[in-house]
Amino acid sequence: MTEPLKLSIDGVEISAQPGQTVLQAAIDNNVYIPYLCYWPGLKPYGSCRMCVVEVEGGRGTPASCTLPVADGMVVTTASPGVSDLRHGILELLLSEHPHGCLTCHRIELCGPQDICLRHVSVVDRCVVCPKNERCELKDTVRFVGVNMESPLTYNYRNLQVETGDPFYDRDYNLCIVCARCVRVCEEIRGDDAVTMIERSGTVLVGTSFGMSLLESGCEFCGACIDVCPVGALVERDHKWDKAVKTVKTTCPHCSVGCQINLEVDSRGSVIRSIGDWDSPVSVGQLCYMGKFGNEFVNKPDRIKMPMIKKHGELVETSWEEALGIIASRLPDYKGDAFSLLVSPRATNEQAYLAGKFARSVMGTNNIDLSIDHRLELVEPLGRRLGNMATTGTVTELEDAGCVLVVNSNTTEEHNVAAIPIKKGHKKGNKLIVVDTREVELTRYADLWLRPFPGTENALIGGILKVIIDEDLQDAEFLASKSENLDALTTSLSSYDLDSVAETTGVSADKIAAAARFFAGGSSAAIVYALDNIAAEVRTPLTESLIDLALVTGNVGKASAGLFPLRPGANSQGALDVGCNPAYLPGQVAVNGNPGLTAPAALEGMVAGTVKAAMVIGDSPLFTAEAIHALSHTEFLVVQDLFLNDLAQSADVVLPMTSFAEDDGTVTNLDRWVQSRRAAIEAPGEARPSTYTFAELASRMGVSDFDSGDPAAILAEIASVVPAYAAINEEALEDGSVQLSWVMPERVPMSHLAPLQPRVAGAEEFLFAPGRVLAMPGEEVEIIRSNGKNAIRREDALEIHPEDAASLGVAPGEIIEVVTLTHRIRGMARTTGTLRGVISATVLFGELATALDASGDCDPMLRVPGLHIMPVRVEKVPS
Amino acid sequence: MAETFETIQAAANAREDMLNGGLRIRVGVALCGEAAGAFEVLEALKGEVASRGLAATVQEVGCIGLCYAEPLVDVLLPNGSRVFYKNVTPEDLPAILDAAASGTHSPSNKVLGTLGEAGAPGLAKIEDTPQWKYQVRIATRNTGTVDPGEILEYIAAGGYTGLAKALTSMTQEKLIEEIKTSGLRGRGGAAFPTGVKWGFLQGSNGPNKYILVNCEEGDPGAYNDKGLVESDPHTVIEGTIIAGYATGSNYGYIFLRHGHIGPTRRAQDAIKQAYEHGLLGQNILGADFSFDMEVAFTGDSYVAGEETALMEAIEGKRSMPRDRPPFPAQSGVWANPSNINNVKTVSYVPEIVRRGGEWFAGIGYERSKGTAILCITGDVNYPGMYEVPFGLTLGQVVNEIAGGTASGRDVKLLQTGGPLGGVLGADSLDIILDYEGMSAAGAILGSGGIIVGADDVCVVDLARTLMAFCQFESCGKCFPCRLGMTHLVEMLERIAANKGLPEDLELMRSTGKTMAGGSLCGHGQLGFNPISSALKFFEEDFRVHLEEGRCPTGSCDGPFHRPTRTRPVATAEWYAKEEYVAP
Repeated sequence: MTEPLKLSIDGVEISAQPGQTVLQAAIDNNVYIPYLCYWPGLKPYGSCRMCVVEVEGGRGTPASCTLPVADGMVVTTASPGVSDLRHGILELLLSEHPHGCLTCHRIELCGPQDICLRHVSVVDRCVVCPKNERCELKDTVRFVGVNMESPLTYNYRNLQVETGDPFYDRDYNLCIVCARCVRVCEEIRGDDAVTMIERSGTVLVGTSFGMSLLESGCEFCGACIDVCPVGALVERDHKWDKAVKTVKTTCPHCSVGCQINLEVDSRGSVIRSIGDWDSPVSVGQLCYMGKFGNEFVNKPDRIKMPMIKKHGELVETSWEEALGIIASRLPDYKGDAFSLLVSPRATNEQAYLAGKFARSVMGTNNIDLSIDHRLELVEPLGRRLGNMATTGTVTELEDAGCVLVVNSNTTEEHNVAAIPIKKGHKKGNKLIVVDTREVELTRYADLWLRPFPGTENALIGGILKVIIDEDLQDAEFLASKSENLDALTTSLSSYDLDSVAETTGVSADKIAAAARFFAGGSSAAIVYALDNIAAEVRTPLTESLIDLALVTGNVGKASAGLFPLRPGANSQGALDVGCNPAYLPGQVAVNGNPGLTAPAALEGMVAGTVKAAMVIGDSPLFTAEAIHALSHTEFLVVQDLFLNDLAQSADVVLPMTSFAEDDGTVTNLDRWVQSRRAAIEAPGEARPSTYTFAELASRMGVSDFDSGDPAAILAEIASVVPAYAAINEEALEDGSVQLSWVMPERVPMSHLAPLQPRVAGAEEFLFAPGRVLAMPGEEVEIIRSNGKNAIRREDALEIHPEDAASLGVAPGEIIEVVTLTHRIRGMARTTGTLRGVISATVLFGELATALDASGDCDPMLRVPGLHIMPVRVEKVPS
Repeated sequence: MAETFETIQAAANAREDMLNGGLRIRVGVALCGEAAGAFEVLEALKGEVASRGLAATVQEVGCIGLCYAEPLVDVLLPNGSRVFYKNVTPEDLPAILDAAASGTHSPSNKVLGTLGEAGAPGLAKIEDTPQWKYQVRIATRNTGTVDPGEILEYIAAGGYTGLAKALTSMTQEKLIEEIKTSGLRGRGGAAFPTGVKWGFLQGSNGPNKYILVNCEEGDPGAYNDKGLVESDPHTVIEGTIIAGYATGSNYGYIFLRHGHIGPTRRAQDAIKQAYEHGLLGQNILGADFSFDMEVAFTGDSYVAGEETALMEAIEGKRSMPRDRPPFPAQSGVWANPSNINNVKTVSYVPEIVRRGGEWFAGIGYERSKGTAILCITGDVNYPGMYEVPFGLTLGQVVNEIAGGTASGRDVKLLQTGGPLGGVLGADSLDIILDYEGMSAAGAILGSGGIIVGADDVCVVDLARTLMAFCQFESCGKCFPCRLGMTHLVEMLERIAANKGLPEDLELMRSTGKTMAGGSLCGHGQLGFNPISSALKFFEEDFRVHLEEGRCPTGSCDGPFHRPTRTRPVATAEWYAKEEYVAP
């Protein structure tokens, strides 16, 4: 840190850091200067001129948001001249912003339920503004004390409110054109979905050419809403509702672990989810799921009472009776005939207690999260680097000289982790994407390597080979930190570039360029989800990625390392606390045979070896097929939020608390432990699973379950799991605590299997679906139906020219891709680069529309992923 | 290896001699010429020359500055006589060619005069006319004479010798010192000493450093930047390269408004030719100095000429001004150190380097060294682009050079320095033309535009026209400018329509104060000038509108077209009450 500077604001001596602006220094020192366009984290903009100040010896009235601090500066924020100026500007602003909310003589008397007597014009009424009483402009006007009798002509813009797009409304009659939304979209999100349009007196925010957000590149993250100082941008759900309290908690949707401020209204509903700008993990950002996907907690059809099956019908009962039945039945299934499947949203405490219940009460290791959480992505990290987790910090990806993204639809599935990647790319850092599918990041990639599905490991081998051959490795790092390097280099002998290119379908030039980018940067990071990689290939591929990071010296330093992106909001925490068939708390391997993973347990149920099961919470894994398997059991207990098909097939159903009703902790993918805090009361008699396990344990004769109290369980975790020793409520009070990881002294290198040439000529095609935010240059038609915008466009199916020729398809002809369940029709484009692969890219807007309109209780739980699948291709006769 | 500069010069001189050995006919086809029909004349001339089988060279040249006489045809006889024909139409050409063949001149009503030492028997010298005799042509020394599409003509006229001198015999420090000695000040409006500005950039470090030459020139009534780029692009390029050398920069942009086709074409061609002759690119003229240049564009936006908005536009963004600091010399285009100069400023540089700073400092008046390139329009007899030394009075400029009002009426007002410069009354004709004199009178010289209005102009009409321009051209970023100008236009419109409210003058003044104090860039800070100066000199016109309900001259009564109706709802209803002619 450099020496702080001293300056005085209104006679108060304050200190500031060089490079700060006067406004930032004032905010840091609790001096209030009014502002409307400034937002911490965005670049100084200086449009509202509300923060004008006078500087002794300086010229004019500069805006303090753009004025750098200087030592000895003497600033006056409220001299008569400055105050007059501020008044003048606000008067001008109010001449085109409805302000009945400020002038109506009943504002002091009116309550929200009162009948309005319309003392002001209809469009001006306070209740017409969704941000009534939570509006920054109104606060500013009141602070400045503007005399509301301006002689300036008032003008209402009379624009139609934009309500056709999913999730949020845009009322540009209320816009003050501070451009916060434009800037957050550009500077933080990198999307440029909205922009400034027109100029002069008609300048406004909009989309280019007034297009729908569905095609403008909007990812519906809601960042613009969170920064809007007025009622121009608001969430459509609970649009008019007012919050009585705000509770900070952790998002339940993915393993990035964004911090959300949940707004709760007087009826106890969660009405809004707002990103938390103080969070070191998400820095104010959310995604379409975290922002618009939490309505499920409010649904009236939540399960409120325990139920038991009598004569094939579920009937409500008391907890007492339900628990009694379970406690009496379960002892019959002790051992491996029992399986416990836990929601990936479960807190560390819930997951820990579930593991403890399975092992110490039921005597089995058959405990797992109810998803395919891709343990293979982290197991090699545990073996070689000492911790089954990300080695770096996600926010540091912004400064990585090169980011390699391997088979991950980051923007949709771990959205906020994509922000530092996009920001870094904007700064000039290199981005390489390895994916057969077209995903959002491929649009930004400096290099998009599109391997034939299943040959990703060969591609990484090729990159490693180039690095070794061109002597790009970090020799010093390898000499001091690694062992057994020869095994790797020897194993690469079959990976000559031409063979790798032949096998993967990626040109030798691109592979070599990728190697040079990756090894050439100041630091490099590998982000991988391995969405489409078969489970048995994930481990060797992860080993190769670790080798790639090690060979280039990119482990154990800032802005570098390995970033496995696993599904499941708390998959990391669950693994750490032993909610896993193969690992006990503290990532300690099970002594003897591991238990059944969730997919294996489902198979066991079909085979009849697993005879009883407890399922905690819903999961995307529970397809009709899985529910069929579960219903094969002799005894099935389900604790869940909704009476869905799964719960319907249970013998006992218990009402569960949602994330918004739970207290506890969760651990995100880069090892931040953060709190879940109850924001609302659970409906009816819904209780957390910790209660269930503690009660059952005591009924089944095991007593040390801390009666399910999260704080007590956390203390127990802290005593059992060394990494969590310092985690307690006080430590988490201020926010997030990152678990430390220290790189081992020496890391063993792995080796690759000899390159297997790909056997070409299979009859089947592989279909690679893609999804992006915007498709510049593509014809997209937006149609209105029932007042909503929808995308109508002709899909283009990309096919290799030789495949097209052998099918007798000319460019522009219509072909059809036939999967087990769907037929996708589109126009053939012979621009494909891979034989045997056919691909099509759609717009994210289509998904957003579907999610917005979905009747599902919890639509974000089952967002369709982009799965590569075998298909048949047919030509459609014209 | 590229040819040496000496061989290029030799080739240029040989070419010039060869052309001057025969009949040489030049047509001014810059913007003003084009508007007056010069291209039709040029085409007809080419056809006529071809059909007669004449051994004459027909050339396009730029603007010599005598706009009132366009289209101008300049006939250079083999004997060295140079005859100018004014307001030429294709019908005049046969007579002109007949006369040229016999070494005489005809038709006599189209002869403007002769220019140059050789003279022409029986013809008045253009040098003796008020339009020419006051001029000291430095930046415009070649305009209207050299073919802007041919680098060799520029070189034959002494071009690029300044650059050669700088590269071979001057250090960066020496060059900047020379510019400081010359007293050259920025011609974009702010009149900041150019040498000092270059010194800032020279002292900055960056991976790249940029020289930006601003030819956005959106002021109505100003066309000297475009005129220079279109008529003599190599002067601008040479000045830019010298600026690049002096400041250690490696990249230059000429920034033009999108749609200025003539200047764009000339600048792009000239840059290409400069590359071909090794005057741009790697190791220019064999020196250890490399410099690249290109033309950059903005959309239709006046504010894009503001230096930071211009940088945004070059970066491909919406051209809205940035706040300073950081100043361009620290962080300009793509956060690299940058220097912005007006076209006119860099156009002086080659001659200053060639002839020395002392020489330049000897021209002009007090602290305003050198010349002003004026664009005179409005109610005058001789509109044009005139390069005159500082120190003349505005009266000399208006009454002698421009020949007084065309209508024969008394001069009522001058509008100088673009719309933001405001207006001056008739008593301003005594003001001495220099930066200090103009600013003492409350006006600015700005880009050099002077619009003359006679006593049939109502200042309310003029003010609303200027305000409507300023309002339309506001980028809309900062609140005071965006909203203030909108209100000011509305108030002026209702005053002009005799619907003004008694408090309007006060309201305009308070709105103007908010704009001046609160706005982000000069556009808003100076945006009240048209009204404040109008109120200062001509409050009577406003009073007549407000109190007597009539226009003092009648000029407000006709239809009024403003660029856009920004707030259609309120104003349309408002004016619908009376017979107001809306566009």
